[in-house]
Amino acid sequence: MAKKVVKYKKQLAHKRTKRTLSFERRRQLEGLSFMVPWLLGFLIFILIPLALSIKISFYSPTLNDLYRGKYVGLANYKEVIKNPSFGQAVFEAFMNSLYQVPLVVGFALFVAVLLKQEFPGRVIFRVIFFIPVILSGVVMSYLFSEDVGSVSVFSQLVQSNTGFMSRLFGGALTTHIGNIMWSSSVEILIFLAALQSVPDILYEVVELDGANAWERFWHITLPYISPFVILNCIYALVDSFVDARNPVMSILYGLMVQGTKYGVASALSWFYMLLSLITILIFILLTRRWLR
Amino acid sequence: MSAYIQKFSNYMYDLYKRYENLGYRVKKKVRFIIGRIFLYYVLIEMAFLFILPFVYILSTSMLTFEDYLDPTVFYVPTEIEWGNFSKAWEALDYPRSFLNTVITSFGAAILQTLACSFAGFALGRYKFRLRNIFFVLVVIVLLIPPQTTIIATYGLFVELGLINTYFSVLLPAAFGLGIRGALFILIYMYFFQRIPDAMDDAARIDGAGPLRLFVEVMLPQVKSAIVIVFIFSVVWHWNDNYEAPTFMYRENVLTLQPRLQNIREYWAKKIPAGESEISKALTEPMLFAGCFLVMFPVLLVYIFGQKKLVAGIERIGIIE
Repeated sequence: MAKKVVKYKKQLAHKRTKRTLSFERRRQLEGLSFMVPWLLGFLIFILIPLALSIKISFYSPTLNDLYRGKYVGLANYKEVIKNPSFGQAVFEAFMNSLYQVPLVVGFALFVAVLLKQEFPGRVIFRVIFFIPVILSGVVMSYLFSEDVGSVSVFSQLVQSNTGFMSRLFGGALTTHIGNIMWSSSVEILIFLAALQSVPDILYEVVELDGANAWERFWHITLPYISPFVILNCIYALVDSFVDARNPVMSILYGLMVQGTKYGVASALSWFYMLLSLITILIFILLTRRWLR
Repeated sequence: MSAYIQKFSNYMYDLYKRYENLGYRVKKKVRFIIGRIFLYYVLIEMAFLFILPFVYILSTSMLTFEDYLDPTVFYVPTEIEWGNFSKAWEALDYPRSFLNTVITSFGAAILQTLACSFAGFALGRYKFRLRNIFFVLVVIVLLIPPQTTIIATYGLFVELGLINTYFSVLLPAAFGLGIRGALFILIYMYFFQRIPDAMDDAARIDGAGPLRLFVEVMLPQVKSAIVIVFIFSVVWHWNDNYEAPTFMYRENVLTLQPRLQNIREYWAKKIPAGESEISKALTEPMLFAGCFLVMFPVLLVYIFGQKKLVAGIERIGIIE
């Protein structure tokens, strides 16, 4: 009898622990099940093509039989590392993003803070700052192209501009500034949405305590939107890494158009992707404590 | 020179003294006005650089050929040439390719907005064992340049029979991938993380299941994220000149972007050979008329969505 009771009690205890565990596990399963569609897509549209492109990077395929070229082992990778122009392009791409990212994010934050205020005409300004995104694609390439019939808009501006800035720094800086401003539209919009999510109550409270606009920005706005600053930094990094005007991307495009060097192109893109991935992971690890 | 500087600084000091002696309210008003002048100055200055190419497109698209070559005509046409637009309309095969682009971009945008919200919700609000790994996977997907996988993807789509159908664009979008799907997941994730946990618990105690919690409690909280993702998705799919033309290259499913790319060749075929250099310049205003036709619908979407964005934003962030 006593034995039975003990056994029963044991069972009960077991059941109870099991139930609490299953509650936790149910939450976990819920989370997982929300991920399932994306994981399926990831498997089909990313993992399989990626695996195929790894395979291509060890072969020397042609367009006709993409998957059955001659096996060449690590020769493609050796070519990538040996070729000095590839290394230089990768270095250049990384240096570009090193100075561009802080400038782009800083500029975007500045504009977003200005645009967040209530003033007549702000809707018009928001539309204007979104124009670069709308013009991307072929339209943009026509605007920036410099062939016989046409001249790039910005260089037109620089040529006609005898103003203070261009006399002081020359045309290159103006073009750089134009580039940076033109690649910050997405960041501006993300910052705007983030700024709107800062509760007004906080501002009212610190205003009663006598904080001026400068202090309000540093003590309320910036800490509150810090995750979005990081998101924007990540986005700006990625954007500069995969930008079509990037030297590495133009080399890749050239290799693909030639049509005989798919293997080298795959190897180079893998090499470049791993480097940029490591950079971004380091960035995420460094900025982890601001995420929450 | 120094006398002038002396005078100027004296004048400024005078102004400052006067400002000092003003009452509190007037001071505040003065500060407000100075702030507004500064604001408008900076914004207009920057907006100039942003709006210049747009104005360039607009004005060039209306120029006649003579005006285009005439250097004295600066942005303002002497007479408006509507022929450019009708030429561009014909070269773009506008109704057909417009419909194709609308189907791919809006369809993909709707699917992406939905599918990415699921993944963003899972990453933003749940703590399960593989969460960090999934997060890293999303970042990796964001980082993969389309150039790396496009050849292999093309081979895959041939196997699946998706080439030259709308599904080659729509299907990846339906799974939350497609053009910059990973970025959208990250945007959703950060927005879902903002929502206080109390909201979650309250809904759970009231007996909401996970789906109901997601649709009725969480999604209304991230309205601004939804609008952002939708607008970006539409615009990027609209302007996609890499993936869509690679997968959909037949005449009847061609989108606007590749047609715009080939707009010169279309008219070069019609103009007799021998005068190629002149005819190229001749097509320049027509080219920008085509640019205008391609980008105008997206501009409308943004202006419309902008209002919704503001309206949607005003409802969130009530409780913290």
